[in-house]
Amino acid sequence: MSNIKEILNKSSIFSSLGEDDIQRLEPFFEKREIHPGDIIAKADDAAQFFFLLNNGTVLLAMEEGRSVVLNTPGDFIGLELLSAKGVYKTTLTVLEKGSVFAVPRQAFLAVIQENSEAAATIMASWQEYLDKTAPFVKIVKKIEGISLSYNF
Amino acid sequence: MYGLEAINANNGWAISVVGVTIVFSGLVTLSLVISQLYRVLALWENPSKIKTLFKAKQPKNQSEEFQEKEIIDQAVFTGSQKEGAKQFNLLIRTMEDHFSLPRLLHLAQISDLKNSHSNLNNLLKTNIIIPDGSGFFTWEKETFDKAIL
Repeated sequence: MSNIKEILNKSSIFSSLGEDDIQRLEPFFEKREIHPGDIIAKADDAAQFFFLLNNGTVLLAMEEGRSVVLNTPGDFIGLELLSAKGVYKTTLTVLEKGSVFAVPRQAFLAVIQENSEAAATIMASWQEYLDKTAPFVKIVKKIEGISLSYNF
Repeated sequence: MYGLEAINANNGWAISVVGVTIVFSGLVTLSLVISQLYRVLALWENPSKIKTLFKAKQPKNQSEEFQEKEIIDQAVFTGSQKEGAKQFNLLIRTMEDHFSLPRLLHLAQISDLKNSHSNLNNLLKTNIIIPDGSGFFTWEKETFDKAIL
C-alpha cells in the first residue's frame, strides 16, 4: 500500500472525514522510507512532523519506560501521543522496514483548525484510537479558546 | 459435688474439647489469612495484576489456540534469529516480569546484540513479547519455548 489517499481512507482517524477534507490534507503528506534502527522523532526535540504509518513497525517510547508498538497501516502518530507544546515528548524508533507519511505539524493543525467540523471528527476518532492503542496516555482535553498548537 | 466428679457429671470434658477445638480452628484460620495478606496487598498496589490473573485462568478457546499455533507456524526463525531470540531471553531474565520495551532495546544495543531492532520485532510479531495494556510488556515463556527451543 503506498497511496496516501488509500491510507487516509483506511486510517481510523481520517476515514470518517469527508472527501473534501481528505483532499485538503493529502498534499501535506510526504512519504518517507524507514529502516530498522532509524529514529524518526526524538523526545525534547522541536516537533516538526506528525506521522501516518504506511507499513512497517515503529516503537513509540514514552516517559517512565512505557511504550507502544505501532504496526497497523493507517496508525497516526501525532498529537499528544507524540508532542506537547511543540516539543516531541516521545521517541519513535523503527523496528521493521517500511514507510511513513510525514505531515508538517503546523500545517496539519492549521488545516484541522480551519474547519471545526473536521477538527471535531478527527478529535473524536483520535480519542477512540488512543483509548484502544494507548489507554494509559493522558488525554489532553481540547479547551475552548486555546489553540491546538498550544496543546500539541 | 466438686472437682473431677462434677466435671464428669456435667459433660465438662466434652465441652472443654469443643472449646479448645473452636479456639484452635480460629487461630489456624487467622494465621492462614495473615500469611496470605501480602498477596492481597500486592494486588492492591498493582491492580493490573488482577487482569493478568483472570486472563491466565480463562481457558483459551479453539480459535485463539488456532491463531497462536498459526503465528508460531508462520514464524520460521532462521539460525541467527533464533540466536538473537535466545540472547533477548537472557536479557529478559535480568528484568522484571512487566518490563519496559525501550529499556530492553537499550540493553540489547549496549550488549552489542546483532540486528537488535529486527530481532525485537520478530519477538513482537510472534507474540513472544506481548503488551500488558499499561505500556509495559511481558515475556511469554511457553510461546518462546515452542518457537525457539
